[in-house]
Amino acid sequence: MTSVVGTGAGGVVGGVVGALGRRLRGEFEVDQWGADPELVDLLSPLTGLLLRVHVEGARHVPADGPAVLVANRRLGLVEPFVLGRGVRQAAGRRVRFLGIPDVAPIGPVLRRLGGAVNRPAELAALLRAGHVAALALGPGYRRPLRAGALAPEPLAPALEMGVPVVPVAVVGGELTGRWDVLIGEPVPRPTSRGPLALAELADEARSGVQALLDEAFPPRWPFS
Amino acid sequence: MRVLVTGVGGELGYRVASLLERDPAVTDLAGLDARSPRRRVRSMRVFNIEPTDRRHLLRAVQDFSPTAVVHLGSWEPDARVAPRPAAERTSAMAIAVLGAAADLPAVDRFVIRSDIAVYGRARGSAMVPDESVPPVPTTPWGRSLLEVERLGAAAGRAAGVPVTSLRFAPLMGDRFPSPLARYLRLPVVGFSALADPAFSVLELGDAAAAVMAALHRRPDGPLNVVGPGAVTVSQAARLGRRLPVPVLGPEWALWQRVAGVARVGLPGHLLELIHRGRTADGMQAESALGLMPARTPDVVRSMFGWSPPAELRVVRGAA
Repeated sequence: MTSVVGTGAGGVVGGVVGALGRRLRGEFEVDQWGADPELVDLLSPLTGLLLRVHVEGARHVPADGPAVLVANRRLGLVEPFVLGRGVRQAAGRRVRFLGIPDVAPIGPVLRRLGGAVNRPAELAALLRAGHVAALALGPGYRRPLRAGALAPEPLAPALEMGVPVVPVAVVGGELTGRWDVLIGEPVPRPTSRGPLALAELADEARSGVQALLDEAFPPRWPFS
Repeated sequence: MRVLVTGVGGELGYRVASLLERDPAVTDLAGLDARSPRRRVRSMRVFNIEPTDRRHLLRAVQDFSPTAVVHLGSWEPDARVAPRPAAERTSAMAIAVLGAAADLPAVDRFVIRSDIAVYGRARGSAMVPDESVPPVPTTPWGRSLLEVERLGAAAGRAAGVPVTSLRFAPLMGDRFPSPLARYLRLPVVGFSALADPAFSVLELGDAAAAVMAALHRRPDGPLNVVGPGAVTVSQAARLGRRLPVPVLGPEWALWQRVAGVARVGLPGHLLELIHRGRTADGMQAESALGLMPARTPDVVRSMFGWSPPAELRVVRGAA
């Protein structure tokens, strides 16, 4: 989908006015999860002021078709938007982030921006529809450079459907507004079968994120 | 194929009966409902029996001895009757018809009308469930239809034949007395100020086409039949040039009274749709039935495009 906001001052104003007119008439798209891509595009200039995102490895995000991004987080409040903005800028794909609270009004607002609840059935439906979905590792606010835990169950739809699982490291700071999104190669398919395969896939994804964090911030040992 | 259709007094039943009448594979056609279809279907034998009259229902099913049963006789709360009698009629009709048909040796397929309301919208549940998600209904309409599905599955097991449960998104169609369509056609439409979630609908003609495809292809198990895409209540109101009004918590009680004055009921499943949304993944049905339903926003636009039926008046002296 193209951006609703044009280029140049006149284009931007015209695009915004046109989009607002369409919204007043109800002529805009909302998908089944409640996401409103036009609203995200309208808010894009604002998020651009707050979040300056640099992306590396965007080629690892498939140009089309489903994919699961597994990303680290500290508190997880800003990282989904950083990841969404970065991948949209660099790879042209919209990211659906899982793990929103299903409580009004926060849940519905996050749904508008691309959020979904973290349920295997929800992820499976997103992947069947060809979306790029982002799963967050466990919070790492105490040790921000350590990839948090990842429960295997949420990855089950990705394994069953053979969807690429891509590790992503999101590093930066809410105070500076500067963020780096480092996207790694899709993790290899598990060699095991059965329940072990899922655990192996989760381990690989978590290790992939840790490797990206280590690459961004090489460990400094006292006597090295 | 000898086809028995229940619910022929309703709009969906009438449409399905009309399609069956033109189907060369259908040798005999019978309709069963408490009231007659709005127009005559020439080749259809109609049994007008109250759903609570089990003795006559059993006799009608046994006398006709169908090979295929299309069970559409479910009453949506506040569509034509109040919620409690709707649930009682739905249950009574399903027990009698599906139970009687299960004992007939000639029966080789069942097609049952259900609704995606069977999935429920409990907190934290998947917004877009597919058929693998266990149904956990959270409204009387959802519970009612899940009971019908279970009765159908039991009848199918007893007869050793496939049962297709078509879980439709809320139906919309010309002259179809859907509580959702009536609500959206009010001049002022209340929506949840805190949520305004997405919902999907299904055009009535697509629902009838899905019944026909299920009858011929005989897929076994539930299938979600959903118009792709979604709209929100406030968006639907704006598409129909209605005034959307944000409504909060206790104001809903007042809003229900206002809608009641306009003779529009707000049953539990409609309130749930307004507050929590209702969609489902219809991809499996698209491939199993070879059907591509009209998109939800287009169905909603069409609904507002329909003009209400003209009121016929007899002019004195003109006849």
